[in-house]
Order: sequence, then structure tokens, then C-alpha cells
Amino acid sequence: MAAPMAGWALRAMPRICPAPSRALHATPACLKARAARVRVGKGDKAVTYERAHAPHHIAHRKGWLSLHTGNLAGEAGAAERAVEDAFLRRFLAGTFPGVLADAAVLKRRANLLVVCAVLARGLPPAKLCFLTGYAETLLTHFYKCPVRLELQTVPAAVPYKYL
Amino acid sequence: HVPPRTERMDVDQDWSSVYPTAASFKPASVPLPIRMGYPVKGGVPPTKEGNLELIKIPNFLHLTPPAIKKHCAALKDFCTEWPSALDSDEKCEQHFPIEIETVDYVSAGTSIRNPKARVVTLSVKLSNLNLDDHAKKKLIKLVGERYCKDTDMLTITTDRCPLRRQNYDYGIHLLTVLYHESWKTEMWESEKTEEDMEEYIWENSCSQKNALDTLLRIKASENVSNVTEEELLASEVVKNYRNSVIALKNEGETENNMAQYKESVKKLLNIQALP
Repeated sequence: MAAPMAGWALRAMPRICPAPSRALHATPACLKARAARVRVGKGDKAVTYERAHAPHHIAHRKGWLSLHTGNLAGEAGAAERAVEDAFLRRFLAGTFPGVLADAAVLKRRANLLVVCAVLARGLPPAKLCFLTGYAETLLTHFYKCPVRLELQTVPAAVPYKYL
Repeated sequence: HVPPRTERMDVDQDWSSVYPTAASFKPASVPLPIRMGYPVKGGVPPTKEGNLELIKIPNFLHLTPPAIKKHCAALKDFCTEWPSALDSDEKCEQHFPIEIETVDYVSAGTSIRNPKARVVTLSVKLSNLNLDDHAKKKLIKLVGERYCKDTDMLTITTDRCPLRRQNYDYGIHLLTVLYHESWKTEMWESEKTEEDMEEYIWENSCSQKNALDTLLRIKASENVSNVTEEELLASEVVKNYRNSVIALKNEGETENNMAQYKESVKKLLNIQALP
């Protein structure tokens, strides 16, 4: 007789469900499946090799845009290099507005920083020379290490695919 | 627009003037029809113009064999020959007994300094130092773990100063102080007890006392005329026993040592071999 009594007791107990949360979600949603991917469209959008490939193609079809020793085992300074990279890309986007054909490649050799950029031919050579000198001097004084800018010009951004 | 430089390059040009130092790939300066990248479906890998993949990878266009020959020729003026008198390891060790080890670290970043580079390791063989028996034992006691018995090497690692030069000076200073201190004999060293001894000494030990006691009693019971201790100590059987006990205590228990001890005890107590 004890078992049916226990079952009836359990059924009679009110079900405790967790109350719906009305808390504020302060962090942005992390859309990992949409990161660094150009969405397929009508077929009229020209996309460079860099932008056409998704992040999972890194080390398979793409190389690295920034080369330094900070991420090796036993080495320090990875975070500092990452912050420097972010600042440098913004700086270049601002110094060469509308002329940057592709992402800049940053190479570090001991304390020398080499910025390799591919530009479209939108500026006269004199202005280009001035802007490279300006960028090099400013960045050298800012980071207290030699900074070299190696530029290449192409007629227009090289399309790899049309998405 | 200006045509690329590749169209005006000779086949036998001096390549080391096109790429004198490490530089990124410049498609207008490299006269090779290189393609790199994953091909589009039904297509070919992209050309070298504006190809970011070719720029990303490190290239060795500045290190062709003729360029390296030029580097070596330029560096030769600053090089000197290895001294011909130091042609073997033993000679090097005889003339330069102290070995200094330092490590340099290379990394890429705004600062080239690495705090791990200040560590200095000094190693020297004690047989190269002028030490007598007391000085050597005192030195080994002073340094403790830094001495390796198998290789007879004293290894001092210093890293307490911020600069490598300071750590090197400190290491040399430590070696000098150890050497001089081990030659001095302090007053309290005469209080060295048996527990402090590094190796077993049979003279004046309880083993010697017991052996002599036993032999004297055996002689007394056989009513032999008074045999002095010096005679007993000089006898073959006691010398054998002394050697086997010293071997056992200093080297540990091995097959050989135990057999030797057994033989010497049998001879000492004059027990005939059991079948």
C-alpha cells in the first residue's frame, strides 16, 4: 500500500519549473557561422582571394596576414602584437582611404615591422610617396621600432570570384 | 602606365642587386610566371599580380648562392683563424678549464630584450683546480647539489642580477670565494664527527675495535703468548678483513664485495670451508 500512496503524493506536489528569465543580455551574440564570410549573392559582387575564403580555409588555402613569434610556445607578447595589428590596419585604412585593394600583410623581423600593402591606382605617385613617408615616420615614432612600408600598385582590386 | 621592370631584365643580370636584403615579393621585380592559390572551379591558380598569398609567405630571393658567397667574402675580413695549438678537446680543457654557457633569445616584437637571457652557467672540473684532500672535501660540502660526482663537474648557475655581465662577474666571484674558503681551516672543523665523514675510514672505527678484541680473546683462550695489537694489525687476515669492510661500506653491497667479505671473515676466524 505504500507505493500507490507515494505516487499520489508525488503527483499532488506542484511541479517546480524554472521561472522564465527576464535578465538583460549585455554581450552581443557571437555569430561564429557568419564570421569573415561573404554571403553568396546575385553573382555581380567581385571578391578578392582573401575575402572569398572562409576562416576554416586558413592554413589550407590561405596563409596568415600577420607573422610574429608571439603565438609560439614559451614566447610572450601575443596580445600586444594583436593590439598593434588592429591599430595598424585601422591606420592604413585611414591613410589610404578607398585605395587599399586588399588586406595589409604585417611581417615582423626582430623589432622591424614590415607592412606590405596592395593599392589601386587612384592617387598620383607624388601623393603616394608623401603618404608612405608620413605613415612610416609616424608609426616609427609611435611604436619606437623601425617601420617599413612596402607598397605595390595594381590597376584595380584583383577579383578571384563573383559572388 | 609604366611597364614592369621584368621586361627590361637581362638573363645574366646581378640578382643580388634586385633583392639585396629580405623584402616582400614584388611581382614587377621577379621575372618568373608564378601562380599561387586555390584555383576557381574549372580555372587555374591566380597570377602573381596583386597576389596576397605570395606576399604573405617569407621568401629567400635575397639568399641565392651567389649572394651568400658575397656575404662570406665580405665577412672574411672580420674573421680570424682558430688557433692551431688548440686542436683537441683535451687541450682546450687544459688551457681553458672554465666553461661559460649563455643563451640568446630571438623574437619578433617592438622590444628585442628577453629577461631569460641574463642566466649564466659556469662549469669547471675539480681536477683542474689546485685542491688538496681537505680543500676538495670542504668545497664539495659547501656547494652541495651543484657538484656531480660522476663527471667531477662543478656547475654554478647565476641569474640573480639583471644583466648578463653582472651574473658572469658574480659567478666568477663565487668560484674564487669557494676556492679560497675551502683552503682555509676553521677552528670548528676539528669537531668533525663520524657522521660528517664522506667515506668510511677503518682506522679507529668500531669494526677495528671489535675485530682486534675478538682476535685477542681467541689468542688468549688458545694460551698463545701475548700478541700485540700492531702485529695483529699488520697480519694478512686483518688487512684482508679491513679491505673488504671498506669496500662494502664505500661501494655498497655487490656480489664481489659480499664474497670477498665472506672469505676474509672465514680466514680471520679460521673457520674451515663448509662443504
